Amino acid sequence: MRLLVLCTDAYGGHGGIALYTRDLIEALASHPRVDEVVAIPRVIRGALETPPPNVTFVAGAARNAAAYFAAVARYARRPFDLVVCAHVNLLPVARMLRRKTLLMIYGIEAWKPARRGAALVDGVDGVASISEITCDRFLNWSRYRGPSFLIPNAIHLERYAMRERSAALAARWGLGDGARVLLTLGRIVAAERYKGFDEVIEVLPSLPDDVVYLAAGSGSDLPRLVAKTRALGVAGRVVFTGHIDEREKTDVYNLADVYVMPSRGEGFGFVFLEALACGVPCIGSRHDGGREALRGGELGLLIDPSSQAELRTAIADVLAEGRREIPPGLAYFAYPNFESRVHSTLDELT
Amino acid sequence: MCGIAALFAYRDAAPPVDRGELEAITERMRPRGPDAGGTWLSPDARTGLGARRLAIIDLSPDGDQPMSDAAGELHIVFNGEIYNHAALRARLQRLGVRFRSMSDTEVLMELYRHDGERMIELLRGMYAFAIWDARERRMFVGRDAYGIKPLYVADDGATFRAASTVKALLAGGRVGRAVDPAGAAGFFLTGSVPEPFTIFEAVKPVAAGTSFFVDGRGLSAPRRFYSVAATFARGRDQETIADLVTPSVLLRELVVESLQYHLVADVPVGAFLSAGIDSSTLVALTREAKHAAPRCVTLQFDVHRGTDADEAPLAERFAREIGAPQTTRLVTREEMLADLPRFFDAMDQPTIDGTNTWFVSKAAAESGLKVAISGVGGDELFGSYPSFRDVPRTVRVNRVPPLGAVAARVMRNPKARYFTLGRTWAGAYFLKRGLFMPGDLAPLLGRDAAEEGLQRLDLLRRIASALDPDPGTPFGRVATLEATMYMRNQLLRDTDWASMAHSLEVRTPLVHGALLRQLAPLLLAKGAECKRYFGESPRPPLPEWLRNRPKHGFGVPLAQWMGLEADGTSTRMRSWAKVVWERYVSG
Repeated sequence: MRLLVLCTDAYGGHGGIALYTRDLIEALASHPRVDEVVAIPRVIRGALETPPPNVTFVAGAARNAAAYFAAVARYARRPFDLVVCAHVNLLPVARMLRRKTLLMIYGIEAWKPARRGAALVDGVDGVASISEITCDRFLNWSRYRGPSFLIPNAIHLERYAMRERSAALAARWGLGDGARVLLTLGRIVAAERYKGFDEVIEVLPSLPDDVVYLAAGSGSDLPRLVAKTRALGVAGRVVFTGHIDEREKTDVYNLADVYVMPSRGEGFGFVFLEALACGVPCIGSRHDGGREALRGGELGLLIDPSSQAELRTAIADVLAEGRREIPPGLAYFAYPNFESRVHSTLDELT
Repeated sequence: MCGIAALFAYRDAAPPVDRGELEAITERMRPRGPDAGGTWLSPDARTGLGARRLAIIDLSPDGDQPMSDAAGELHIVFNGEIYNHAALRARLQRLGVRFRSMSDTEVLMELYRHDGERMIELLRGMYAFAIWDARERRMFVGRDAYGIKPLYVADDGATFRAASTVKALLAGGRVGRAVDPAGAAGFFLTGSVPEPFTIFEAVKPVAAGTSFFVDGRGLSAPRRFYSVAATFARGRDQETIADLVTPSVLLRELVVESLQYHLVADVPVGAFLSAGIDSSTLVALTREAKHAAPRCVTLQFDVHRGTDADEAPLAERFAREIGAPQTTRLVTREEMLADLPRFFDAMDQPTIDGTNTWFVSKAAAESGLKVAISGVGGDELFGSYPSFRDVPRTVRVNRVPPLGAVAARVMRNPKARYFTLGRTWAGAYFLKRGLFMPGDLAPLLGRDAAEEGLQRLDLLRRIASALDPDPGTPFGRVATLEATMYMRNQLLRDTDWASMAHSLEVRTPLVHGALLRQLAPLLLAKGAECKRYFGESPRPPLPEWLRNRPKHGFGVPLAQWMGLEADGTSTRMRSWAKVVWERYVSG
């Protein structure tokens, strides 16, 4: 069996979708009936990781739009058993290939009708979603009524660990020994205000003075948040870390006493899995995919992100409990289970 | 759901709490709670609590009130429902608390013990409660965000008294009955007595969305934990969130969540069903949430049968289409007249409303229901009243003074000469909702009472204070005013006494502090379009014939039935107000 994956980014990519797509490609490639996976990326931002031997990663397609379409045209002439369209924005390209197509959906890009080719979703042969909430919201606007599959994010547990706070990072960001640290990781841009940075900052004044907030990320909305911390009198308790290097991520998580993200726009919330894999207790939202990353409350506390009282109380309760552990239930998202779900999906479609 | 009473002789010089008074107050509320009742007096007789219970959650005697903890440190009376009591209980259990019952009343008590006064911010429900804290020798009192459940207090500077109804407080015999001119003026100006007044000088309502303590020094200043205006103002900062999800989908998710809270009960929950979008959508969403439609009750009035004003055939058709068991209850003039004495006896404060709820609650109780959900609040939430169009227009026109003056001259209604009041939002709202105008009150109340009443009432300032902080948009301002004026003072209050008179608990899934918080960004972004999205939210959406019919009000044919005099209005509510006043003050 030969599979074609059209993706925005994967190897050499940053962020959740790139990571998910790398895992997806590798899981597809490991299926016993798969001979080859060809992956054509739209962008490459950094150094390329090494794909499995039976994966052809067409890095040249990411040079520019012309190179991308040339690569698609070249591979369109070859036989493929399935096209995996790894983002709804690429569906117009995927549908031109007139092959059996599996569409991957993640979050806000699928919660409302696609800007381009909303009608194109009608004709796909399968839809795989990282969360039930994304699938449900997608089915509400689309006319698609074919098979749907749930394939949540995978966590490679071996890449994370629960360990002592990094003295170097603590010193870098001025975290004293007695500081109790709240952490949120994410892009700080206006389009992603749904992440919940505002909500955590707003509740900080009602928490004890030794509670500090590590807002880990960068982006154009930073000045607004900085101004908010000053207006609320908590500027000395909020650290804006800037961009986090992947190599430091585990140490960053291990600085935290609580990972908190009272969001409204997460399709899933992979960051929760990362935090849990470092033994950090989590607080997420009941109103987006975060509730599925925390397995309906089994792996963490779920709150109404619009309620300051619930957020404050949840933070206080978790800090008071002071417990760190890697919950056994996290294994539900371990990569082997992800791989198994991908294989089942492939078996059903081909 | 209950009637509650709390007495606290907080000054040393105050006489001890009189058990007879406590029992008289509690007994007056028997229809609110026919299932059980009782009183509790502290060993030193300085504090007394009373309750009548309508058993809805934990039907066993374990849920009876007044309730005390095992150590005798905390004692509580509570009217209402805490819909998230299971989650709150689970949290407290994780923290080591052991419960003796499955009652939400006990959860309230233990939550107070653990979290103190901030516990009220965690509650989802409708409630009014008083907790006697024997350790601190103080009483903690609170009322829900919107004021769905009532609580009235009388404080003579030595003894604090509280009860679920004004008439119950008076039944104790120790609270003065002097009519408050401000309350009387407010009734004639607006059709109900606007908070912070009641019809009696000695009695005041506990402000919605607040809590306070009573200790040896008296009542503390109330602490506000919820504000409709502030919720809208905050929603403006979150506009980007409004656009993440298709509006009908977001409405569906959040209203279903609210419904799931509001359907928590150990008895069947029915529904009031008209042919309106709000009640129909709630019934459809309930069917999805519970995999079964609720038992529905619809009113029909004899003089409406066969006319466009008759909603019953449409409600019946909708119920058939979605498989909901439904009863249409015909109400005749004869029944209205026969019920009037009981109706006015139950009417806790003068109001021009309440008749619809009286009869639909009566019908629901006759069908064996103890709980019903209502679509009240949908018009305020989704901007369906004409006020959402008319109030901003009045403000706009008056912003150009010559236009305002011209409009005042060409208008042909009793309010025309007051039109320029509408240059402020408060004035424009009063023009829209006002029943009588200030100049009309002297013949109704007497000149001195009218003057004093208007001065103390200071209605426009009070209306304006509801817009602090400024919700920021015309929609937000009108929505805030409708929720905190008309809905709070009239619809919710009248829903309470008129349903409780039939021992029926009415629940209001669209009147929910958390729901407004969650929806505020969308409401501000989409305004009155949200009503359409709401009708589209069930799967399948409401049928087009229902969604597209013009909005009708609930037409209790009072004018016809009561032979009301022409009064310059189409509804003759001014005449009805005079009838109500006459019956109330003479009763």
